[in-house]
Amino acid sequence: MTRYLIKRILGGLLTIWITTIAVTLLIHLVPGDPVQIMYAQSQSTTPEQLEQIRRNLGLDRPIYEQYLMYMGRILRGDFGTTIRGNQPVLDLLLVRLPNTLLLAVSSLLVTMLVGVTAGFFAAYKRGTWIDTTLMTGAILGISIPSFWLGLMLIYVFSIRLGWLPVSGTDLKNLILPAITLGLANAASVSRLTRSSMLDVLSQDYMRTARAKGLGENIVLSRHAFRNGMINVVNMLGLQFTYMMGGAIVVENVFAWNGIGRLAIQSIFQRDYPTIQGFILIFATVVVLVSILLDILYVWIDPRITYS
Amino acid sequence: MTWLFFKTLKSLNPRITKPVQRSLGVVVVTAVMLAACGGNSSQQTTADSATGAGTAQEGGTLVWARYGDADSLDPHRTTTTLSWQIFDQLYDTLLAFDDQGNVVPNLAQSYEIAPDGQSITFTLNEGITCHDGTPFDATDVKYTAERAIDDANPSVTKGAWGPISQVEVVDPQTVRFQFETPFGAFASFMADPFASMLCDSNEAAGNQFGVSSAIGTGPWKLVSWTKGDEIVLEKNPDYQKFGRPVENPGAPYLDRLVVRQIPEAQTRLAGLQTGEVQLIVNPPLDDLDSVRNDENLELHVAKNTGQNFFFEFTISRPPFNDVRARQAVAHAVDVDAAIQAAFGEGLVEREKCPISRGVFGNDQTFCDQYTYKHDPERAKQLLAEMGYGPDRPMEVILMTSTGDNREKMVQIFQSQLQQVGINAKLETMDIGTLNARVKQENQKTSGISTFDMMDWAWFDPDILHQLWHSPGAYSGYQSPELDALLQKTRTTVNPEQRKEAVNAAMRYLLENAVHVPLYTPGSLWVYATRREVQGYKIGPFNRPVFNDVKLVQ
Repeated sequence: MTRYLIKRILGGLLTIWITTIAVTLLIHLVPGDPVQIMYAQSQSTTPEQLEQIRRNLGLDRPIYEQYLMYMGRILRGDFGTTIRGNQPVLDLLLVRLPNTLLLAVSSLLVTMLVGVTAGFFAAYKRGTWIDTTLMTGAILGISIPSFWLGLMLIYVFSIRLGWLPVSGTDLKNLILPAITLGLANAASVSRLTRSSMLDVLSQDYMRTARAKGLGENIVLSRHAFRNGMINVVNMLGLQFTYMMGGAIVVENVFAWNGIGRLAIQSIFQRDYPTIQGFILIFATVVVLVSILLDILYVWIDPRITYS
Repeated sequence: MTWLFFKTLKSLNPRITKPVQRSLGVVVVTAVMLAACGGNSSQQTTADSATGAGTAQEGGTLVWARYGDADSLDPHRTTTTLSWQIFDQLYDTLLAFDDQGNVVPNLAQSYEIAPDGQSITFTLNEGITCHDGTPFDATDVKYTAERAIDDANPSVTKGAWGPISQVEVVDPQTVRFQFETPFGAFASFMADPFASMLCDSNEAAGNQFGVSSAIGTGPWKLVSWTKGDEIVLEKNPDYQKFGRPVENPGAPYLDRLVVRQIPEAQTRLAGLQTGEVQLIVNPPLDDLDSVRNDENLELHVAKNTGQNFFFEFTISRPPFNDVRARQAVAHAVDVDAAIQAAFGEGLVEREKCPISRGVFGNDQTFCDQYTYKHDPERAKQLLAEMGYGPDRPMEVILMTSTGDNREKMVQIFQSQLQQVGINAKLETMDIGTLNARVKQENQKTSGISTFDMMDWAWFDPDILHQLWHSPGAYSGYQSPELDALLQKTRTTVNPEQRKEAVNAAMRYLLENAVHVPLYTPGSLWVYATRREVQGYKIGPFNRPVFNDVKLVQ
């Protein structure tokens, strides 16, 4: 197990490192440099002054040199400062990261609650109207863009009913974005749960369990559910990554102060240090979550051992 | 499709107001019910009686929702609108713009420009205090200016301060700026938020200045800034009005001003409808009728913002290196019709000058003489002279940036151009990409030629120098003749002579179809408030002012 974990962590570091290279190359492919964007709209600054500012920021160097300088600083724990406003990038990201994580985890809970329940009942009541209704709902859920769903929820629960605030970053404001993001993903989880449960329900050991006189509840919870969940947990890891990504859209709709929103803004402003910092943190979270999930498998399915 | 559904749903349901402002009470509820009974009718109903229902009172908090956040509260670190609209609340300036856009005394009670135009002396008002209680005097002015032009400080406004050679404290109430060469744009710059006066006590905050600390003499003091979320300001009880275009002679009436960030326009509007926020900027332009028809809401459209939407051309290759091709485009488009179709009534105006309404030197009558009238026949004739015709249409690319109905405008232009035989392919991109792209295109000598609908905003005719004095903002059109004209607009200090110099430059730009003005304002200039907000005003150059605001309780 320890050896496996060390391997996974080293692999994770490699992934993060490759991501930083890819991102550095990609952001420099996008036309427009940050200094020009910063000054383009309302400044009387001479081209010589622009060059000077570029030099100060190190933007006149070749990309590989900029990358090496950047990595050198990162290894010393220095994420640099934003090009606009000159503020420490790490502070900006760390203030927002908990918000995004909170949103992603809450959404994941919604996803599990709704998706797993729906999938489980659809499988259990296979072929009935319950199954049909739930799975039609799932297709709808997959098709509805979260952007639109978010606005509809605002319309119903904030404007019409006045129950929940429209926007902001505190717990009461978490409900709508978590539902928006959670529901969109619940749809695909419910379909996966259903097929996985169907598979389990038709296994011989289910018949055995029933034959030996176990109550239906115990059969379902201990034998069916736990076995059926292995695939689903696997998928939840991926789901969490989607949540982190999907949070970018939902954070914008609900003005949730997370890192996704910061990332979008930074991309438009070509604020390289912020974009790089965002990707680094994002990649780290994704890698950590996937390692944690590997550990979770062992707990769910004692048959799995890492050696 | 989804939008249609959303809108249909909205129109099916009469809007229900949250009982937030109880004093509006019966009148509003009745009005809403009446409106609801009247089905989908859109008359102005009882808006005025609704505001008359309560009395405006001092105190309270106003929440202002915007699409993004300030980058910094340090005026030397950023130039975005989102940032300087906050500078304008925290700090004050030596001079100010009145409602007509004239430069008037403010923190400085008077100023004197030396006959040679190479120095300007300000006499400060007495008894001004900084937010931390220290007196504001000439040393603070010197501190601000030197900080802004110091090479050691990464100041982004250095260029705008001009060729300053020295800032001299004559006595505590008098400060003198010396220039290497006469600088005509200085007085108006002293009225702009980029030239916000800082108190020298900010030095103690070190790196935290502009983040958690920002000491000025403006009407609002910084309480806290949660980045990406909200900026909380409280009134400066010691504020005295000098030159700002407001009525209130002293401190703001409101206790607090909270500036929140809500990026999505539909969400901002929803927040306004529920009463969660009282002021929003940039409501969704497609949904303005829902603001106009809601008796709880009021629409505010900024005028005299200095914003200018215009065509500019890539002249590094055919066909736009030929003035006739540029003129053909200018004659082919019907700007008034396009404005009507894209914006409807009352949002933007036709602009005929390269510097926009509200800015010194703007003169519609003067510019009209050199404006290209909508004349498709003339356009075809010019194209025919160049060898284009029905068998050989002119192929070009028309670029613009996303947002604020710009795409609708260029689509209309596209069809108008097609009628005279110009096939324009449209490309829309974010403003950062567009700025880079225009510069790239100007450096290319082959390929399909491009022109673009660009927008710039500035408070002084010096904008033309920034755009067109070689090498220019985009390395586009350049000529020694134009350079000389523009240099004159910058170094002429006497207002009448400067106006003449500006006229000459504008005439050159128009006659050569270098800068073809289209409309103004057109960028983030629409605001909406709840009815209980009284006294909200957008000053010249798109500056929201809150000194006079009271809330109807």
